[in-house]
Amino acid sequence: MNIDQFGMDTITLAGPLEAKLRAIRDAGFTQVMLNAGDVVGHPAGDEAPVRAVRESGLAVTGFQVLRDFEGLSGHLHAYKVDVAKAMLEMCRALGSHVLLACSSTSAHATGDRDALIRDLRKLALLAVPFGIRVAYEALSWGRHVSLLGQARDIVRDADRSNLGLCIDSYHVLAHGAGAGAVDGIDPTKIFLVQLSDFLWQETRSREDRIETARHYRVFPGEGVHSEEVGALVRKLDEMGYRGDYSFEVFNDDYKQLPLPMVAARARHSVKWIAGLVSRRSLPARRISRTAAR
Amino acid sequence: MSRRHAAEVIPEPSNPLGVDGIEFVEYATAQPQAFGAVLQQMGFAAVARHRSREVVLYRQGGMNVIVNSHGAPPGPPVLAAIALRVRDAAFAYRRSVDLGAWELEPHAAAMELNIPGVHGVGDSLIYFVDRYRDFSIYDVDFVPLAGVAPKPPALAGLHWFGVVQTILPERTRDWLDFYGTLVGFAALPHGRYFGVLPNGTLLESPCHSFYLQLIEPPSAADAAGWEEGLVRVGLGARDVPAAVRALAERGIVFVDRGSVQPSDKGALTQQYLGSVTFELVVSHL
Repeated sequence: MNIDQFGMDTITLAGPLEAKLRAIRDAGFTQVMLNAGDVVGHPAGDEAPVRAVRESGLAVTGFQVLRDFEGLSGHLHAYKVDVAKAMLEMCRALGSHVLLACSSTSAHATGDRDALIRDLRKLALLAVPFGIRVAYEALSWGRHVSLLGQARDIVRDADRSNLGLCIDSYHVLAHGAGAGAVDGIDPTKIFLVQLSDFLWQETRSREDRIETARHYRVFPGEGVHSEEVGALVRKLDEMGYRGDYSFEVFNDDYKQLPLPMVAARARHSVKWIAGLVSRRSLPARRISRTAAR
Repeated sequence: MSRRHAAEVIPEPSNPLGVDGIEFVEYATAQPQAFGAVLQQMGFAAVARHRSREVVLYRQGGMNVIVNSHGAPPGPPVLAAIALRVRDAAFAYRRSVDLGAWELEPHAAAMELNIPGVHGVGDSLIYFVDRYRDFSIYDVDFVPLAGVAPKPPALAGLHWFGVVQTILPERTRDWLDFYGTLVGFAALPHGRYFGVLPNGTLLESPCHSFYLQLIEPPSAADAAGWEEGLVRVGLGARDVPAAVRALAERGIVFVDRGSVQPSDKGALTQQYLGSVTFELVVSHL
């Protein structure tokens, strides 16, 4: 594992897009996860963020986030289709091949399985001409889909080539699940893995999960669940996942710290994870030979 | 007989749109006369022109080719659209959009037909046409050219065989999902090909009357500069050598080297106007 498999997420950093891209690149990262908020309303117009990303030389891990898409009907569904199309167009313009879509939290959304599958198939089909893959993520406070296993089953049954999963370690750990949560997932259906830790042992309620997710995440290695995050990455690695990892770290403190300092912490986290994974995945005989020396 | 239960699951028909072949293919070009000359060499004849736009209809046998120069960008001609014959164009359009196709904004002028369509690969379009029996779309939007036979016969029995689409690496399954879901195309078993260019994946139309060929770049080295789009049409002929002779007499040049030289199975023309080729494929369709 090396730093080229990891991307920083612009949501972790304060300031304009150009400053974020510079800090991420200067810390040694080669890719970046973009957020719609980085590009809409850019003071220099629509083309400027596209140009900034291209000129940064950073590859785009993915683009986030489409919310509350599935399970709606009538005019609410039509409205969300318009939103999804706009997100797909931005995603394409930025050179991103992955659109992140979170499980719906809407009180208006049905939990009917056939409806969820139908809507996710539609989203996937909308994305085909653009060459975009849709990564569906179980938000831990999702209304009907809040567990990774639920998202896994829906993606499997929807059976569309460009529809897969985003696994966010926070949402897995916030439910008290460990690395075993990824059991039974086809590694080719994992389109993105987002990593973060947080600073307390438990999230006690839905509100607590939301509050923690949006304000108190830290980089892996900095929180109290780092062993579990490491175990999750190791398991994904053993399963054969060779795709990208991104640091999905929402943290109010980091948004008021100098960008190079936060990016350096992200860089440190990569080293921590890579060390953990490569050390434990060494073949046994090689370890014993080293020990005998 | 029991009454059907409300929740009974009825499988969708394998041809949900009632697809019944290709009504026309459309090329966009800023060089309509030069391209028209190529089409005439290929056995097509200009039969009508559009009422309000710089668009000409060419025809031979059951094949219609629309040459659209209305606002066409400079550069080589491009294969811009395929029009599918369907049972009910409005239904086909609605169903496609409901399933996730990007709708085409209507652009008909006064008293013209609005041909519903959706976006396909690259900048191309997929139209749905349901008026192709007693009454045709050309009766409304086109004016016949004077002194020209409206239905010129096909040269050597040429007919639509299919369309070739290039796709980016590892995109075959995505496009299979796309065409399978929207139109009911199904992949032929791998390794089953026709013609002299046995590459990629062949999809058969639900009416079993034409094919779509999806081609990924043959190697990583070819991937640079490879774009997704419709690249050529395939014309079917019962007797390919006879068709090759008839077209060669009209001045069409076929690639005659390597694996694609004309044979009983098929043939490929040289590139015309920098991009356009036609493929002949042995066919009993």
